[in-house]
Order: sequence, then structure tokens, then C-alpha cells
Amino acid sequence: MSFYSANNLHFSYNDKAILKGIDLHIAQGSIVSLLGPNGTGKSTLMKLFLGLLKPRSGEVILKNKRLESYSVKERALHVSYVPQSTHVAFAFCALDIVLMGRIAFESWFQKARLLDIQKAREAMERLGILHLEKRTFQTLSGGEKQLVLIARSLAQGAKILVMDEPVSGLDYGNQLRLLETILSLSKEGYTFLKSTHFPEHALMLGGYTYALKEGYVLAHGLTCKTITQELINELYNTDIVLKETVCGYPVCIPKFVKTKQ
Amino acid sequence: MKNSILFGLILFLLGGSMLVSLALGRYEIHLDTLWQLLVWKLLGIGSAPHDVAMLSNIVFDIRLPRILAVVLVGAALSVSGGTFQAMFVNPLVSPGILGVLAGASFGAALGIMVCEEWIGVQFFAFLFGFVAVILALGVAKIYGSGGSKMILLVLGGVVSSALFSALLSVVKFVADPYNKLPAIVYWLMGSFSAVDMKMVTQVALPLALSTLILSLMGKYLNVLSLGDDEAKALGVRVAWVRNSAILLATLLSTLTVVVAGMIGWVGLIIPHIARFLVGANNRVLLPMCTLLGATFLVIVDTLCRTSLSIEIPIGIATSLIGIPIFVLALRNAKKGFA
Repeated sequence: MSFYSANNLHFSYNDKAILKGIDLHIAQGSIVSLLGPNGTGKSTLMKLFLGLLKPRSGEVILKNKRLESYSVKERALHVSYVPQSTHVAFAFCALDIVLMGRIAFESWFQKARLLDIQKAREAMERLGILHLEKRTFQTLSGGEKQLVLIARSLAQGAKILVMDEPVSGLDYGNQLRLLETILSLSKEGYTFLKSTHFPEHALMLGGYTYALKEGYVLAHGLTCKTITQELINELYNTDIVLKETVCGYPVCIPKFVKTKQ
Repeated sequence: MKNSILFGLILFLLGGSMLVSLALGRYEIHLDTLWQLLVWKLLGIGSAPHDVAMLSNIVFDIRLPRILAVVLVGAALSVSGGTFQAMFVNPLVSPGILGVLAGASFGAALGIMVCEEWIGVQFFAFLFGFVAVILALGVAKIYGSGGSKMILLVLGGVVSSALFSALLSVVKFVADPYNKLPAIVYWLMGSFSAVDMKMVTQVALPLALSTLILSLMGKYLNVLSLGDDEAKALGVRVAWVRNSAILLATLLSTLTVVVAGMIGWVGLIIPHIARFLVGANNRVLLPMCTLLGATFLVIVDTLCRTSLSIEIPIGIATSLIGIPIFVLALRNAKKGFA
């Protein structure tokens, strides 16, 4: 019974081993956060999960079938990708971008059907960004762009979203709003695999955490159990204290910050 | 809505310029007479105009095949230019980017040198157009594992174009300067004067079909412009789309050389004008390129036939008209594709 998982995944770029035997299991409707320092293979792992790279050995299983046995189109109906940022060369409006999520449903040479346009607009409405539909994508703010890309994933109809550092480059308010969006979508049954640079963000979302270092899984499990002071310090080579606030919520406090006590 | 009106307008302009082009020429036919002839011949309504045999000969045997060829070639060059600009995400790309025009020109020149028959020339043009693109793809393939494939393709095209331009010079150098060289030079300037109905019927189907398919591929090119990973994740078979676009554009470009020799600038400037009219969304842009290219070339070819007592090679005319338009278009290119 495997919803979405990696078994003993190995990968290397030009003989340089990046991933050295990764096991990762994602349950339906859960949020899985990938933590780890830069260059530790988080993005590579997500590309393997998306089928954009082929593992050197090991396999990715999607709904009890090997990921490779899906066609590109079938795969897109199950799994969608929300990139960190997207380089859009042409002056597409936001609705055009969301509509691209429907391309797997259109057949060759067919015009966009009314149904596809409707689905795209529904997805935008759900995220509260329908008012942006006519705006040129490049002129949107970072937070709005991310929401448009998530709307594209929703329009794509895939219930699994793979997100590469979804909050990077966003201001504090937009970061929180985006995390809230992820949380509410997961309650509706969407599954998330996302990488993040902020242990706090993983803690806010709960779910499961996999900590990657030097191509291995250093620790994994329920986020609240996995993320400890020791893990963070080992992972990032830092000196922090993980403290609980009055209401019991954990926060990371670097040693160099002066606290009262 | 705005786009539908624009498409209607350009379609009307295309029809109008084709009609005018049928009427104009060394023997001018009054538009009323032309209309009477067309209605009588095609619909069987009304009566035959005076001198019907000669008029039919001029209109249906001499001018119509040529105009049809011009329409097809104009559409083909523009849509392949638009496709390559979308695929390489670069507004300065033209249909010859992968060396197809250089290869086909070399082939044609070689054909003129070694063959007596016209069909041989066409065959060589066609063959070497494809050889040049295969060479460009091959060069790109050697170094092309991972990384930026598009840059390698462009460089492969540069290599292939340079090689076949050099080979063309070799052919010119060794060709008989009294018989063969003028024919080669004239061919390279581009002309529709050799077109007849037989040639049109041979090339019409592949030209029209490939043009149609390419102009409907815009939505895939849109997705491709986001990058390979995103396009794949959206469910698009990237390599398949890219290869079919290259194959179709190559087929179109070589066929235009087979029909009319080298006609530059059309594939570069028409996409710019189309983008100015309808924006950069390839779903709309590529059909617009097709219509606009056909209209533009019909007008230019008519000018070439009628403005002087001798016919101006169309390649010269498209360059002379194209360069100032391109300078204007560069003003927009600075802003990228906005």
C-alpha cells in the first residue's frame, strides 16, 4: 500500500553522488517537508518524484505503480509541480498561465474549451485571485505569482503538489498566507511534498518532515517529534535553542540573540 | 473579440490583394471583367466575358498558380519564423536558424550545376535543406546531454549555416560563369516566375498541411516557453513537440526554396508585426503570422511583377521593404516579448 514513495533512491550527476539511498513515504492528504542545507539534493529528490530525472537505482512508486510506467500525460493528472519561480518570456496574462494547467486535458490542435477556461477560473477563485486574471504575469508580485502557479496546479486536477521552496522570496505576510493556503488545501485532501529553508515553517504546517544531509536521510517522522534542537544544529551547523512559547509552540532562538533569563 | 475582427480584416485584405494581383500585370484586366470571368468560370453564373480564351489563359494558367504559390510560401515562411521565435524564446530568430535555408540554397546551386532538369534542382534543394538541419541537430546532440539544449541548437545552426554558405561559394566559384553562374545568382535572389500549375499541385498539400499544423501548435509552444521541466510536469511531451515543430518548419522552409529560391526577411519581420497586432500568445500569434505572411508576400510579389518593366527578384524586394520595418520592430524588441 504505497501512495507516493521512494525506495532506496540513488542519483548522481556526472559521477558525483547526490542521493545515496533515500526512502521516503508520503501518505495521502499529508504534508511532507524536506529540510536540509543548500546543495543536499532536495531539488533533485523532488525532480525524481516528478519523474523529470531518472534515478540511477531505486524507484518511485505512485499509487502502487512505478512512476516510469505512467505516461507524461497520466503523470500530470496525478502530480503537479509548483516551481520556485517561473521565467515567463512572453507577456501572458495570469489566466493564460493557469489555463496551461489544462493542457493535459486538451487534445492536439484543439482550442481551449469553455470547460477548461471555467476550471481555470474556478481554481483562481478558490485562491482568491480571480481579480488578477487579466493582469500580465510578469507584473504580478511574488506572492501573487506563487498563487497563480498553485492555481495552475489546482486546474491541472492533480491531487499531489510538489513545491520547490514555495515561500522563498515572499514577504513575511505573503509567506504566512501561502502556508495557510497549503494547510487548508491539505485539509481538502491535497497531498504536499515541499522543500523549505525554514524549520519554523515545517513546524507551522505539522505533517511529516524528512531531514536530508549529504545525500542521506538524517531523520524523519512526525514534524513535531523530528525537529529538535539537536537536529537543527547538526543539519545546518548552527547554534540555536529550540524553546516552547507560553502556549507550547516551539520557536528557534539563535544563541547570539540576547534573551531575558 | 478584438482579435476576431482583426482576423476578419486581414483575411479580407488577403482576398482583396489576391484579386487585385490577378487583375494586374503586363496585360491589365479590369476588375469588373475579372469578376465576371471568375463568377462565370467558377460558379457558372452570368455570361462569359469578351475574349474569354485569352483571359482564362492569363488568369488561370499564368497568374493564379503564381499567386497560390506566393500565398503558400508567404504563410509558410512566416509561420516557421514565428514557431522558431517562440521555440527559441528569442525575437531575432528567423526560419534559417538551423541552417535550412543555407543548406537548401547550396543544394539548389549544386543542382543547377550538375543537372539539366528542373526537378533535379528541386530535389537537391530539398535534400540539402534537411541535411543542413540534421547536421545542426547532430552538432547540438554531441554536447547536448542536459544543460541548455536551445543554446546548443542555435550554435549547431550557426555551424551548419556557415558550412553550407562556404560550400555555396565553392559551387559559385567552380560553376560555368556564362551559363550556370547567372542562373545560380538569379535563383538565390528568389523569384516566382518559374511557377506553374504542375509545381503548385505538387507542393500545395505538404505546404498547406504543415502550415496548418504549425499554426495550431501555439499552445504547446506557450507551455514549452516556461522551460522543459515545467512543460513536462504539465503533461507535455517536450521532445516530441519540439522535434515535430523543427521537422515541420524545416519541411516548410525547404519547400519555399524549392518553389521560389531564397526569400529573406519575411520569416523574421512578419512575426514581429503579428505580435504587435495580437500580442505574444502563440495560440493567436501563429495563425496571425500565417495570414499576415500570405498577404504581405502577395502584395510584394505584385509590386515586383508590375512596378518596373522588368521583374524585380522578390528576395531583393522583401529585403528592401523588410529592413525599415525591422528597424521599427526593434523598438519593440528592446522590451522583449511584451
